[in-house]
Amino acid sequence: MTKKARVLVAMSGGVDSSVAAAMLVREGYDVVGATMKLYRDGAEVPDKPCCSLDSVNDARRICERIGIPHYVLNLESAFGHDVVDDFVSEYARGRTPIPCVRCNTFTKFRDLVTKADAIDAQFVATGHYARIIDGALHRGADDRKDQTYYLWGIDRGVLPRTLLPVGEMTKAETRALATELGLTLVANKPESMDICFVPDGNYAKILSEKLGADAPSLSPGPLVTSDGRVVGMHDGFARYTIGQRRGLPGGYDEPMFVIAIHADERAVVIGPREELLGRGVVARGINWLVDPIPAVGDRVGVRVRHRSPIAPAEIIRLDGDEIELALDEPVSAIAPGQSLVLFDGTRVLGGGFIESSRPARTVRAHLPVLAG
Amino acid sequence: MNAPIYLDHAATTPVRPEVFEAMRPFLGPRFGNPSSTHRWGREARAALDEARERVARCLGAHPDEICFTSGGTEGDNLAILGGWRVLKPLGRTAVVTSPIEHKAVLQSIHQAAHEGAEERLLAIDATGTVTMDSARTMVRTDTAICAVMWVNNEIGTIQPIAELATLAKSVGAIFHTDAVQAFGKVEIDAKKIPFDFLAISGHKIGAPKGIGAMFIRRGTALEPLFFGGSQDRGRRPGTENVAYAVALATAAEMTLAEHTLESARLTVLRDRLEAAILARIPDAVIHGRGATRAPHVLSVSIPGTDSESMLMALDLKGIACSGGSACQSGSVSASHVISALGVPADVASATVRMSLGSLTTDACIDRVAEVFPALALKARGLAAV
Repeated sequence: MTKKARVLVAMSGGVDSSVAAAMLVREGYDVVGATMKLYRDGAEVPDKPCCSLDSVNDARRICERIGIPHYVLNLESAFGHDVVDDFVSEYARGRTPIPCVRCNTFTKFRDLVTKADAIDAQFVATGHYARIIDGALHRGADDRKDQTYYLWGIDRGVLPRTLLPVGEMTKAETRALATELGLTLVANKPESMDICFVPDGNYAKILSEKLGADAPSLSPGPLVTSDGRVVGMHDGFARYTIGQRRGLPGGYDEPMFVIAIHADERAVVIGPREELLGRGVVARGINWLVDPIPAVGDRVGVRVRHRSPIAPAEIIRLDGDEIELALDEPVSAIAPGQSLVLFDGTRVLGGGFIESSRPARTVRAHLPVLAG
Repeated sequence: MNAPIYLDHAATTPVRPEVFEAMRPFLGPRFGNPSSTHRWGREARAALDEARERVARCLGAHPDEICFTSGGTEGDNLAILGGWRVLKPLGRTAVVTSPIEHKAVLQSIHQAAHEGAEERLLAIDATGTVTMDSARTMVRTDTAICAVMWVNNEIGTIQPIAELATLAKSVGAIFHTDAVQAFGKVEIDAKKIPFDFLAISGHKIGAPKGIGAMFIRRGTALEPLFFGGSQDRGRRPGTENVAYAVALATAAEMTLAEHTLESARLTVLRDRLEAAILARIPDAVIHGRGATRAPHVLSVSIPGTDSESMLMALDLKGIACSGGSACQSGSVSASHVISALGVPADVASATVRMSLGSLTTDACIDRVAEVFPALALKARGLAAV
C-alpha cells in the first residue's frame, strides 16, 4: 500500500474538526492533529471555549482514538497580535470587527501552513463548512452552516493544499458520522457561537482590559437621531453594533435601531428600520480568490453578514484594494468592520472589510458638535 | 521506518526490570500496612525500614534523615515551605533561589513570598551557572532558606552546591538542593556537603513515577505540608507506599553502582552528538557549553528554527526530544531557563533538549546526528523563504 500524503488537521476538540480528521484517516491520509493554543485561559473564563484545557484534552483523546499523533501549537503571541489587538482597535474606532476572518487568514491558513511545511505535510485541513472544488473556494453544502463568510481572506495559493472534509455534509450528517465513527466524546458536544477568546460574550471586558476602563469607546457619549437631535446618552459606543435594538430609548412610534457609530464624536446614531437600509457598500482590504479578478460592471452575489441572504449586486468601482458595489435591493444593517463576501453561484470570488454603506434614502445627517 | 529513539531521559525513564521484580511482592502477598502490629504489618515495616536504610546509604545519610515523598515536586515544596514556615517567626524574612530552578522550586518560593517572604534571585552567568558573588550578597543573616538545584534539568549545568551550602550555613540559613537530575550523575554525600535538605525523584532513575525521597538533616526543623498520622515522624503523614519505597531503594543502588561507567559512556555519546551538530551547523548554540555539565543533557538552539516545529518533525521521524518546560496543555513556550541565560528570544524559542540515558545506544546517536541537523537545516531553509 502506498502511503497517501501527509495532512495537518487543526483540531479544536469540537465535532467538526474531529470528524474531519477521522474522515481523512479513513481515506488513507497520513494525518497529524494539532490544537492551536491561541490565548491564555483567564482564571475566570469558564472552561468551555476552544482553547481551554478540556478542549485540548478532547482533541488529544480523539487523536488517540483514531490513531494519529497530536500536538499542541502555541500561537498565543501571533494570535494576540494578528487577531485580538485588531479586534480591540476596531471597536475603538466604532467598527464591528470579525476576528474569525483574521484568525483564518493569519492563524489557521498562514501560521498553521508554516507548521505543515515544517513536518512535510502537503495538506492542511480544518472542520470548516466550505468546499474546495478545483482549487476554488465554494460555499458548504449545508447553507445554514456555510462558513465562507469567514474564509475569504486566506491566501489563494493555499486553496489547492487545503482539505475541508465536512464541507460536503450538513451539521446533522457530521454528528451522525461522529457517532458512526465512535467519536462519542464529541458527537453531541454543544456548538459554541461565541468568539473563542470572549467565551462569556462580554467583549467590553476585554476592551476595558486592553484600553482602560476610561477609554473613549467605553465612555458616555450622545445618542442622536440622524437629523442631529440628542435624545439621550449611552455608556460607550463600543457596546453598540449597527442594527442593534436592545438598550435604546423607547417612546418612538416605531422601533429604533443603531444605524451608525461616529467614533470622533463618540456618537451613536439611532433611527427607524428604513434608515438601516443600504443601497451600496464600499469595502477595503480586498482579497481575491480567483484569477483573473472580476471587473467593473460584473454581476455578483454579496453577503454582508454571516448567514444573511445572498444579495444580487453590481461592481461599480474597483480601486486597488477598495471596491464599491450597487445593491439591486436595499440590504439592512451593513456594518463597517464586518465582511463583504462576493460570490459567483456557490464560488467565493473574494471579499473585504466593509468600510461604509450608501444609505437607501437621503437622511439629513447633522451631527452635534460636542462642547469642549 | 527505523525504530523510535527515546532521547528524553531527563523527562522520565523506564522502570528497570530488576526494580519491577523487587517491588512486585509488595503489590501482592506482602501487602501489609507498615503501621500495623501484626505479621503483615511487620513484614511491610521491615521492607520499608530496609528501603529507608538503603536510600540513606546512597546519600551518605542516616536512615532517620530520609523521608519518602511522592517525588521531586513534593520534596521541593516540603523543603522550601516547611523550612520557611519554621524560620519566618524567628525573624528570617528572605528566601533565595536561582532563576533556572524547576517550577516546583520557583513556585514554592513564590508561595513563600506570598506568605510575606522577600524573594531574591541569584545571578546566572552566560553558561547557566549561579555566580557566588551574587550569592554572597543575597544569602545573609536575614535569609530563611536558599534553594539551588544541583544539576539543571534543561541544560545540564552543575551548580556550585558545596560553596552555596557552606555559605548558607555560615549565616544560619537553611540550604535546600533539588537533586532530581543530579542523582547518579554527580557524587552526593551528605557527610561531605552541608546541605540541610535534598530532594530526589524515582522516575528519573528507573523507579516508577510517584515516589521520591527527601533528605532532612538531623536537627533541622521543618513544618509538614500534610497533617494526619505519625508516619515518617509526622513529617509526611499518610500510609507509606512500601512497594515504591523498595523500588526507589533498588533503583538508587543500581544507579550508583553503574554511575562511573554510565557517566563516561553518556559523556562520550553526548559529546559526539554535540560535535556532529556543530560540524553541520556551526552557528548552533549549545546551552551551558563551557560550564561543568552533567553528561546526560544536550540543549541546543538552531537560530532560524522554532522548537515547536522541530519537536513535531523529530517526533514524526521517531525521535523523542523535548522543548522548554511543557505546560499542562502540552504546548511549548520559551523556557524560563534558556531566557535566563540572556539569549535573544528567537534563540530561546529555537531550543531542543536531548537527554541521554539507559536507552541511548551508539546507533541512536548516529541516527540523531544525521536526522537532527538535516531537519534543522531544512526548517531554516523554510524560515528563510
